[in-house]
Amino acid sequence: MNPILTFIVILIGFYGLATSNNIIKSVFSVTIIESGVILLFLNLGNLEGGAIPILNDQVSYIVDPLPQALMITTIVIGSTVTALALMLCIKIFHHYGTVEWKEVLGRKDVKS
Amino acid sequence: MSQIPVILIFLPVLTALFIYLFKWRHMHLLALLTQTGMTILAIVYFLHFKDQFEATHIILGGWSDVRIGISLANDGLSMAFIFLTLFMWWSVLTYLYRFGKTEHTFLFFLMFLQGVFLGLLQSNDLFNLFVFFELTTIIVTILIAYKKTGESFRAAIYYLLLNTSGVLLFLIAIVMLYNLYGTINIRVLSEVIHTHADTTILKFAYVLMMTGISVKAALFPVFTWLPKAHGVAQSAISALLSGLIVKGGIYLFFRINFLFESAGLPYHNIFFILGLLTALSGIIFALAQKNIKLMLAYSTVSQIGLIIMGLSSPDITTFYGGVLHTFNHALFKALLFLGAGVIIAVYRTKKLDEIRGVFRTMPIISVMMIIGMLAITGMPFFNGYISKSIIKYGFEDSVFRTLALYLVNIGTTTLFIKMSHIFFGPKMLSYPMKHRQQNITLLLLALACLVFGNFYVEIMDAFFGIDYAHITRISLGGLLDYGITVIIGILIYLYVLKKDVKLVKGIREFKISFETANILFIALLTVLTFYFVIL
Repeated sequence: MNPILTFIVILIGFYGLATSNNIIKSVFSVTIIESGVILLFLNLGNLEGGAIPILNDQVSYIVDPLPQALMITTIVIGSTVTALALMLCIKIFHHYGTVEWKEVLGRKDVKS
Repeated sequence: MSQIPVILIFLPVLTALFIYLFKWRHMHLLALLTQTGMTILAIVYFLHFKDQFEATHIILGGWSDVRIGISLANDGLSMAFIFLTLFMWWSVLTYLYRFGKTEHTFLFFLMFLQGVFLGLLQSNDLFNLFVFFELTTIIVTILIAYKKTGESFRAAIYYLLLNTSGVLLFLIAIVMLYNLYGTINIRVLSEVIHTHADTTILKFAYVLMMTGISVKAALFPVFTWLPKAHGVAQSAISALLSGLIVKGGIYLFFRINFLFESAGLPYHNIFFILGLLTALSGIIFALAQKNIKLMLAYSTVSQIGLIIMGLSSPDITTFYGGVLHTFNHALFKALLFLGAGVIIAVYRTKKLDEIRGVFRTMPIISVMMIIGMLAITGMPFFNGYISKSIIKYGFEDSVFRTLALYLVNIGTTTLFIKMSHIFFGPKMLSYPMKHRQQNITLLLLALACLVFGNFYVEIMDAFFGIDYAHITRISLGGLLDYGITVIIGILIYLYVLKKDVKLVKGIREFKISFETANILFIALLTVLTFYFVIL
């Protein structure tokens, strides 16, 4: 896969952030950017026909294991962020009755 | 001995877990005990490695390859920030202390944040920098939302999404650097960074990192999350955020600039301009507000601009002036936020117009607040004066820069003249006993302001080996400058702000939507790309 394609995925995410008026869509956009980054790094660390990175004397042509190790951490962090953001969305819906940015940010403080 | 950095990260995290698991009434004392232990460890570590910071590089897990292991390292700057972190947590923990009462969940996140922040300061590989960077974002989001009002939830999600997209740009840059050099260790990378022929990708990586850091440090077009978050959080959390967590972004700002130093990127002028714009826009928004917490929050934005102006200087003395201002700002802004927190708790309102007669009601807190205000406006003998003088001294040969500095300072002075109105007037209500012990914290911070205002030569020499003997504690010119600034401030207040003209009202009600904030974010990325990569 061409790295340019992953950049397109990232740009789609930014497009979503810059245009959507819905909080949940913004959360999705951030997730899309993150998927793009993960794809980019895995893609750059990949070798065509490389073996899995388990140390073994017979195999010398192996895929770089570091990107995979790092990206699994990123995925974990990403899922935390998504979970937290969606929880906040639910709470915002309870307080304001909507998840539109404009209405949520425009309204004066509502006493809970 | 050499493993103390690891202990500094894990001790608060373990304490946090312990607090949450065993919910005893006196858990707050345990947190204070941990804090004492960490302070002792940090002092021992600093005294031991004072002259040989190259030896502090540790690779975790017995990994022999320096290029890819998880590594921690310290130098004078990170040690100074570690002491600042410990001091800020001391203030917040003593401020929140109530005998026999512990808010376990809150304390859990607070102590956890300390461990994560210390990790951010000491990390020597880019990926862990990213992890700690993102973890601070997550925990701070929870702390902002902790009051569980609609306002705090919306501020929290605004903060979370904007900062996460910033941090992800940082991650893309890490991917690019790993692809170019095959290492993510900062010390190794800073030695080889000029060796690669393909400078376009290198510059692009720098731009991505700087854009991500700008969001975290609240630079010019992307500071919109800061007043929202700092305005709604609890006062102790606001003090922590304004005093320290924003400084995490600033810390990374100069760390990354050090990393790219040998690549010779021309970052000085553009970041001076960005810092100036941050300072001016922050102060303009601050002057228009009528909510004391929002005023303080926007003032943080303007002070960050001032710090960036100092840090972007190529001259090393002026650079450390910016660093010193980072510390000074942490001290007096924490003092002001915590003092304002007590006032808000007693008066039950954040509106400037409804708070009167603070001096008669709470004389001790008023004196502390006045010390904080004198420090932030740059009165001689207080710490703000010193760091501002150092930065001013560095800008002496450029009329434009000196004028810019005066403009920002006049704005700050006007802001605090406006805020000082809360002190006047008759005694309005009695002052409940339960807030009295918070005076100790305020006293501690006020003393720190005075110490930094008078013993700066010794402090800067101990940590950075920079001699500031040429900056005098007091001079006729300094006093005259301060007097003129105050007079101009009073005039601006009387003739512009007090009448609440249409323009001021317009600025107060000016709101930036989330989409616009993101468009500004992308615009910043584009401008920086244009400046560094294409030009």
